[in-house]
Amino acid sequence: MILLRLISLPYLRKHRLRSLLTIVGIALGVALLVGMYTANDSVLHSFSDTVDRIAGKSQLQVNAGDAGFPEEVLERVQSVPEVRAAAPVIEAEVETGIKGQGKLLIVAVDMTGDQTLRDYDFDNQDADAIDDPLVFLAQPDSLILTRDFADRNHIRSGDKITFDTVEGPRQFTVRGLLKAGGMAQAFGGNLAIMDIYAAQHVLGRGRRFDRIDIGLREGVSVEQGEAAIQKAVGPGLTVEPPSGRTKNFESLLGVYTIAIKVSSVSALGIGMFIIFNAFSIAVTQRRSEIGILRALGATRRQIRTLFLAESAVAGLIGSLAGVALGMAFSHALTLATGQMMSQIFGVRQNVQHADIDPRLLVVSVFVGILTSMLAAWIPARNAARVEPVQALQKGRYQVLSAGESRARLMAACSSAAIAIACLLYGHSRPLFYVGFGCAMLGALLFVPYLSQALVRLLRFPLRWFRPVEGALAADSLLQAPRRTSATVAALVLSLALVVGQGGMARGSMISIEEWVNNTLNPDLFVATSENLGARDFHFPASMETDLAAVPGVAEVQAVRSVRMQYRGLPMLVVGVEWGKVARRTKRVVVAGNGPEMDRLTAAGQGVIVAENLAALLKLKLGDTFELNAPAETIRLPIVGIIRDLSNQLGTVFIDRSLFIRSFADDSIDVLRVYSAPGVVPENLRQAIVERLGKQRHLFVLLNADIRKFVNDIMDQWFGMTYLQVLVAVSVAVLGIVNTLTVSITDRRRELGVLRAVGGLRHQIRNTVWLEALTIGAIGLILGLATGVVNLFYEMQVVTVDLTGIPLGFHFPYSIALVLLPVILGAALGSAILPAETAVRGSLVEALEYE
Amino acid sequence: MNRSLAIAVSLVAAAPLFAQDARQIVAESQKRARANSQRYEGVLEVVGAGNKISKKSWVSDRIGAFGNSKVIIRFTAPADVKGVALLVVNHPDRASDQWMWTPAINRERRIALQDRSTRFFATDFSFEDLEERDVDQFDYKLLGEEAVDGAACWKIEARPRESKSSQYTLTRIFIRKDNYVPVQYESYIKDQVVRRLHETDIANVQGIWTARTLEMTDLRRNSRTILRFEKLQYNVPMKEDDFTVQALRREQ
Repeated sequence: MILLRLISLPYLRKHRLRSLLTIVGIALGVALLVGMYTANDSVLHSFSDTVDRIAGKSQLQVNAGDAGFPEEVLERVQSVPEVRAAAPVIEAEVETGIKGQGKLLIVAVDMTGDQTLRDYDFDNQDADAIDDPLVFLAQPDSLILTRDFADRNHIRSGDKITFDTVEGPRQFTVRGLLKAGGMAQAFGGNLAIMDIYAAQHVLGRGRRFDRIDIGLREGVSVEQGEAAIQKAVGPGLTVEPPSGRTKNFESLLGVYTIAIKVSSVSALGIGMFIIFNAFSIAVTQRRSEIGILRALGATRRQIRTLFLAESAVAGLIGSLAGVALGMAFSHALTLATGQMMSQIFGVRQNVQHADIDPRLLVVSVFVGILTSMLAAWIPARNAARVEPVQALQKGRYQVLSAGESRARLMAACSSAAIAIACLLYGHSRPLFYVGFGCAMLGALLFVPYLSQALVRLLRFPLRWFRPVEGALAADSLLQAPRRTSATVAALVLSLALVVGQGGMARGSMISIEEWVNNTLNPDLFVATSENLGARDFHFPASMETDLAAVPGVAEVQAVRSVRMQYRGLPMLVVGVEWGKVARRTKRVVVAGNGPEMDRLTAAGQGVIVAENLAALLKLKLGDTFELNAPAETIRLPIVGIIRDLSNQLGTVFIDRSLFIRSFADDSIDVLRVYSAPGVVPENLRQAIVERLGKQRHLFVLLNADIRKFVNDIMDQWFGMTYLQVLVAVSVAVLGIVNTLTVSITDRRRELGVLRAVGGLRHQIRNTVWLEALTIGAIGLILGLATGVVNLFYEMQVVTVDLTGIPLGFHFPYSIALVLLPVILGAALGSAILPAETAVRGSLVEALEYE
Repeated sequence: MNRSLAIAVSLVAAAPLFAQDARQIVAESQKRARANSQRYEGVLEVVGAGNKISKKSWVSDRIGAFGNSKVIIRFTAPADVKGVALLVVNHPDRASDQWMWTPAINRERRIALQDRSTRFFATDFSFEDLEERDVDQFDYKLLGEEAVDGAACWKIEARPRESKSSQYTLTRIFIRKDNYVPVQYESYIKDQVVRRLHETDIANVQGIWTARTLEMTDLRRNSRTILRFEKLQYNVPMKEDDFTVQALRREQ
C-alpha cells in the first residue's frame, strides 16, 4: 500500500491521460459485457416472468408448440384421475392503437372456473368487481384490464377500448380491473383477460385452444401427473411444467446468446491489449525507478506485486466505470433486443426496462479486474526481473532482446504449424477449435515481426513523401518495437473481429437475398399481421377461395406454419400446397431429385427439410422423419433437402393436406398471391383490400414490402454486431493515442534537439502525424489479413455448430473500404493532442529531459 | 335381565331404526315433491355488499324424477344476458353434467366438475347447489328436532358418500314434520357453515307442497340471493329431446 501511494500514485498523476486511456479500455469492454448480458437476460426474464405469472398455481401445461389443438383434448385431460383442475387458455398480442402503450396481451380463459388455478385479485375487495360475471360471459366484447394499464390510459370500468380482431377493429367493454401484483404484472402490466370462447371468435381460432393449464390432486407428484396426462393425450402434445416454455425460448435465443458472449469476450480481449501495452510502456519507462527500488532492497515479489496492484486498481476503476456505462445503455439495448425477438421469432414478451442483476455487476467488476491483472502479468514479471545495474542504462530497453525475439518467433511458428495441422488433418470439433485458437494466437505473435517488416517497407514511401519527417517517423517506430507492436496487435485483433463479423453479415445477406429472390417471389402477400413472424390471428380456410375469386388474381397459395420443439431444436413446420409452390419458385436442391421430391411431397408421401436442419441434426436423404403432431404422427421419408432460410434453426416442409390432417387445423397464416399477366400488383392490392378488407382484418403486402421487412430484420440482427464493431474500433484507437502519447514523452529530448537546430513546428507535427498514420496503416493491413483468417473460422463455427446455414466466403469489401478512412482518420485524430504537446512544450525543459 | 343392560340393548337395537328414519325422512320428502316435470319463471335478486341489488329473470323447465332429472334455465332479463341458458343433467350415481349456452357467440361450454364450487354467475349459489341430491348419494343421521319459522322440523345431517364429489363436508337439512318440505339447508366446509338456504312461502301447487321463495346466504361473504318462483306449474308436457345440448343451440 505504501509503495502504491508513494510510487504508483505520482506516476499515474503525472500521466493522467494515459492512465485514463488505460481505464477506458477496460471500461468499454466491461460496458459491452454488462449491456449485452443485461439485455439478453432482461428479455429472457421478462418472458419467463410473464409465463410464471400467468401460469399461477398450474403445475403442468399441455401444448403443441404454437400449433394449438382441438378443444376435445380438454375433456381427455379433465378425465385423468391425477388432475384436480384443468383450464384452457388462449393468448394473443393485439395492437391497442394507443400511442406509446405498445401491445396488449390477451389471456383468454374460461371464467366459470379459471379461479382454481389463477388468483384474480380484483380492484376492490369484493370479488364481484367484475360488474356482472354473467354479462361478462354473455357479451363477447367483455374485457378485464389491469389497474396499471387502465390508470396509464385513463380508462375506467365501463369504458370502451378498441383493438384489431380478425374482423377488423372492434370495440371492447372494460368490465373489471385487476389490482396490481401477481398476474396483473405479467407482460409489463399490458394484460387483458377475456372469455376464451369469445376470444376464439374474435381471434379466428375456431374450436382450438393454445394450451391447457393443470393443477394436480394432492399427493400426486409432477412426474406422476406428467406421465398420466401424456398417456391420455398421446404423443402429439407436450406435457411439461410452465418453465418448459421458458426453456424453449432460451433455445431460440441460443444463437444470439453465443454471439454476444463471443463479442463481449473479444472486447475484453482488446482491452487486455491496451492494458498490456500501457503496462509494458510503464515498466520500460520506470526502469530507473525499479532499479532504485531493487537497489534499496525491494524484492522481485514486491515489484511484481506493485505492478499487479496498479493493474488491479486500474481494472477496478475501469470496471466500475464500465458497469455504470453498461447500465446506462442497457435500457436501449434491452428494448432493441426485445423488439428483435418479437419480430424474428414472434415471441410474446414485453420487456420495458433492463433487469439489472447485481450478481452480473459484481462478476463484471471481477472480470474487469482479472482481465487487467492478466494483461499486466507479463509486464509485471518483466519488471520484477529488472536488474538494478541494467535498469540505469538508457536506450536499450525498447529493443527486443535476441532471446525474447527467438522465443516469440518460435511460439508464433509453432502456433501456425498447429493451426495448419488441425485444419488439414483434424476431423473433430475440439481439434478445429484448437486450430482456430492457434491461428489467431499465431497471427498476434507474428505482429511484432510483421510490423517491423512493414515499417521498413513503408520507410521508402514515407521518405519520398516527406524526407525528414517520414524518416523520423519510421525510425521512431523501428526503435520502439514493443510499444508499436502492442498497439498494432490491439488494432489487428479488433479489425479481425470487424472483418469476421462483417464477412458473416455479408455472407448472410447474400444468402438471404438469393433465397428471397428464389422463394419469396409472389407479387403479393396477404397476412393477418404486418409482422410475418406473428401467429396470433389466422385466416379461415375459405379465405383462399375468397382471394382466388378477386379479379386479377392468377394463383393463391395458402401457408400455415407452426414452431415446434423437435429433438431439442425450435423447428418450423410449414404446411404449403407444395405442387403449386414447386411450379412457381426456384429452389436450390442440396440433395435429392427435384421433380421427384416435389411429386412425393405434394402427394403427402414425403417431407422436404431445409439444409440447415439437416446439418444440425445430421439428417440425410431417405431418413425417416417422425414428428408427433397433435392429431396424428407424421412418419415419412425425407425426399429432398433444399437451401432455405425461413428459420434460423431449421424448417421442414409438408404438403398442406398433410398438415391439415396431422394438426387438425385448416387455418391459414399467409397467402401468397400471384397476379395475372398484365395486372399491376399495386392495383391488385387495392382490389383485394376493397373486396375483402371490410369484413376481415388483413394486411396486403407487396413483394417490395416483404423484402424491406426481411432487410429490416437483418439490420436489427446485425445492428448488434455493428455496435460491437464500434466498441472494438474505439478501444483500438485508444491504443494508438496511448502509444503516441508515450512516444512523444519518451522522445521529448530528441524533439527538443530538432527544434533547437531549426526544426519547424509543422515539421514536428508532421512527424507525429506520420507516425500515427503508419501505425494505423500497419494495423489496417495486418488486421484485414488476420480478418480473412478469422472470417474463415467463424464461418465454419456458424455453419457447423450454430445454425447449419452454409455461408459463402465473402470478404466485406464495403466495410474494408469504410475502415480505411476511419482507421487512418482516427489515427490522425488521435495524433493531434500528442503532436501539440510535442511542439508547445518548453524547449529548455525538453533539452534537459532525460 | 339387569335394568341397565336392558336399556343398553334396546338402545343398540334401536340405533338402526333411527338411522333408517333419517334416510326415510329424506326419501319421503323427495317422494312428495316428485313430479314428471316442472316449470316456473324465476326472479333472482342478488343483494351484495352495501345492499347493492342486481336482478335477473329466467324460465326454468325440469323433466324427470328427483336426482335423475334434466333442467334447462334460460335467462330472460336483463337484455345483456337474455338467451343465455344452462343445461343440468342430474345423475343418481354421480355428479351432474352441466353446459352453458351463449347466444352472442353461438357456443356452448361444458362446466367442468372442478368448477362446480365456483359461484353461479355472481349469485350466492354455486354450480353444485343447482344439482339435485339423490337420496343415495349421502349418508344420513338424525340429529333431533328443531323449529324453523315456528314449524317443527327434523334436523338431519347428510354427508356425501365417496362417489359423490362435493365441496361440502356435510349438510344439515331441516325438514318440516307436517308436510315434509325441506325449509333450511346449512352447508358446512369442515366445521364451518358456509352457506344457508332458507325456503319460505310454502304453498300447495297442484297437490305438491312447494317453497316458492329460496334465500341463499353466503356466510363468508355476507351476501344473499333470493330466488322467487312465479307461475309455478307441475307436470307440464315436455319432451326429452328439449333437454339436450343440441336443443340449447336450437332455442335462440
